[in-house]
Amino acid sequence: MKTSFVFSGSGGQGIMSAGITLAHTAIDMGKHATFLPEYGPEQRGGSAKCTVVVDDDPIVSPLPRVCDNLILLNEQAYKKFVWDVKEGGIMLLNANRITLPVEIDGDPVERDDVRIISAPVDDIALELGSPKVANIVLLGILIGATGIVSRDTLAASLEDKFKDKKPGVLDMNMKAIDKGIEIGAQYRV
Amino acid sequence: MSEKRFMKGNEAIAEAAVRGGCRFFAGYPITPQNEIPEYLSWRLPEVGGAFVQGESEIASVNMVYGAAAMGTRAMTSSSGPGISLKAEGISYLAAAGLPALIVNISRGGPGLGSIQPAQSDYLQATKALGHGGFHAMVFAPNSAQEAVDIIYDAWEYAERDRNPVMVLMDGCLGNIMEEVELPPMKELNDEDVPYWSLSRRNGRDFQGNITPIYTEAILEGVNIMAGEMYKDWQENDVKVEEFMVDDAEYVIVAYGIASRVSKEAVLTLRSEGFKVGLIRPITLFPFPKKSIRNLDYNRVKGIIDVEMTIPAQMREDIELQVMERCPVYEYGRSGGVLLDDDGVLEAVRDFMTGGTDNA
Amino acid sequence: MPEYKRSNMIADKPSGYCPGCLHSLATRLISDVICELGQEDNSLNVISVGCSALNILYWGGDFLSVAHGRAPAAATGVKRTNPERLVFAYQGDGDLAAIGLAEIMSAANRGENFTVIFANNQTYGMTGGQMAPTTLIGQKTTTTVYGRDPATTGYPLKMCELISQLEAPRFVARYALNTPKGVREARAGIKKAFETQMKGEGFTFVELLTNCPTNWKLSPLDTLEYMNTNTIPYFKPGVYKDVTTKEAE
Repeated sequence: MKTSFVFSGSGGQGIMSAGITLAHTAIDMGKHATFLPEYGPEQRGGSAKCTVVVDDDPIVSPLPRVCDNLILLNEQAYKKFVWDVKEGGIMLLNANRITLPVEIDGDPVERDDVRIISAPVDDIALELGSPKVANIVLLGILIGATGIVSRDTLAASLEDKFKDKKPGVLDMNMKAIDKGIEIGAQYRV
Repeated sequence: MSEKRFMKGNEAIAEAAVRGGCRFFAGYPITPQNEIPEYLSWRLPEVGGAFVQGESEIASVNMVYGAAAMGTRAMTSSSGPGISLKAEGISYLAAAGLPALIVNISRGGPGLGSIQPAQSDYLQATKALGHGGFHAMVFAPNSAQEAVDIIYDAWEYAERDRNPVMVLMDGCLGNIMEEVELPPMKELNDEDVPYWSLSRRNGRDFQGNITPIYTEAILEGVNIMAGEMYKDWQENDVKVEEFMVDDAEYVIVAYGIASRVSKEAVLTLRSEGFKVGLIRPITLFPFPKKSIRNLDYNRVKGIIDVEMTIPAQMREDIELQVMERCPVYEYGRSGGVLLDDDGVLEAVRDFMTGGTDNA
Repeated sequence: MPEYKRSNMIADKPSGYCPGCLHSLATRLISDVICELGQEDNSLNVISVGCSALNILYWGGDFLSVAHGRAPAAATGVKRTNPERLVFAYQGDGDLAAIGLAEIMSAANRGENFTVIFANNQTYGMTGGQMAPTTLIGQKTTTTVYGRDPATTGYPLKMCELISQLEAPRFVARYALNTPKGVREARAGIKKAFETQMKGEGFTFVELLTNCPTNWKLSPLDTLEYMNTNTIPYFKPGVYKDVTTKEAE
């Protein structure tokens, strides 16, 4: 089955890293995946977007117009991409940066045809020890809500990524996954 | 030993080049191809090769000219604005009979255009890479894996023909991360250094020279031989993928990233019972003329040219083969706005139900 | 008195240079030094565009002919992939100091381990005597028919002075070929540049002041005197930079 994800936020919020990690983990599980980053011209702070497609079969098109799962980290991203998730899909919002309803050109815009998960991932990350793990919390939520990849494969992939870092870093990331899964599981259908 | 990796298209291109024998790269930074020079800046020295960040695109392609003259497998990469600057050097490579690989990871144009992906350089690549009326083989892979396979063998074509080879991809394919299977390293020794090169590592003990300038009588001969070579390419080197074309009533023609989005549309439309197929040129030059010319136009009701640029640039090549036997439509996005599955699907549906061209 | 004979590096046919043109002498000096250093087979001449390109017709060693102004770039590709070769570019003033300014300055600044020999005759010879970046103030050319006016065309570019400001170059010198003394010094300078390269020390640059009887519209002998009174006072001969091993010792 083909499942698509779009992540968007500002540069530096770790969305590229989250997208790559998700795609990599899917491949580690024997699936196929593509990761497509899109940047603005700015090196820092500009808008950033990435598209991840995961499939059991080799991926034909990596360019869906609307995705199954939309992950938005700030209001700017919300305003730009709010309509880019399929009916019945998941819209995962960073509650620390996005307060619903968001006004676009003076009108409040809110989707009532998608499952909205709004979680204060910045606060959660800070409580865990670093704002940098907010994107891992997001991945945890996605796993909890969709089961797209297994917790253990993601954990193994992070273990590999952080094997040369201080032990605390890996531990913090593991806690971020589990905290995310705990939140996401409430939205599992 | 081949190995599987999850790699960015640009990095896969760079690693495939090294494994295909590339030992010299010169280039100048330009988005969206920067990962190619960045990767080769550390990778080439590991295998005894050389990397130079040139002061310009013009200098870089001329560095490649120098390295290629020595029989070294050499390459440069850029995007549209930089390829325009390289036009001089590419023409000289063709004139001097020097093999080299030029990679264009294209973006929106004309001018500085945009840094986002677009297929805006088809005409430049296939019709006039520089002054003087020459061609290079132009390959247009549609995945990181196909790019790896083509680049791995690019110098086999370039050295066979003593002519530059271009690989044309867009910023999407350059930046997308996909699984690739990397081929083993080609082992090239001193005896593999081409006999015509200015290297003396191959044991040459006589004076050698390479020049891009000739007397008129000789130049005419050079031109005639080039013309014969292009005919040979058309006979022997066309690469094309034909997908569900045999019974198709509508045929999409698309290359590179556009072909993947188009194939998705074909699969969707087939699942709905529509007879739609795809012709995907893998070589843009030589163009797969026969695939389009020999379609059964009693059956085919329309050809749809899908490109990530407006207006469509491949259309003229298609129309020359269709010869007004059915309508030719075009659909595209441009300027750095990407094609997407639904857009192509809607456009094809529209054409099938009597809609008109968006050109 | 040594016997005067044609260099082994030069084909036995007329050069194609105009009578009295010092390009012939410059080429002769380079070939003599190559022979003296035993580098006949190892040398590689990167030939530029302009009258310097007439070398294509009679240079007897390996050569690579390249685009206008790009010789230092092409030589970079040659030398980086074949560091054992003795590589030199032979460029005129339009080629080096106008269209190829980025290439020469950048190659010099990278300290590429090859030699550039710069023939400065203050005009575009092959295309018919247009203004060069080195054309002297007041000098008449086919594009400055009333004489070069700095108000609209700026001043003659002093390449030795520019290049010697860079950190990387090892040897930068200018010689005038209008006197026997100048010719002898130029020969020694070319030899020093090649030896420096052969030791792997880095970029070397030798500027040779030459003439253009045809486009200056002077007899060959008069060009030599013209150089004394006009060219040499502006482009002063001398060693502008020398940080070769011998000097450092």
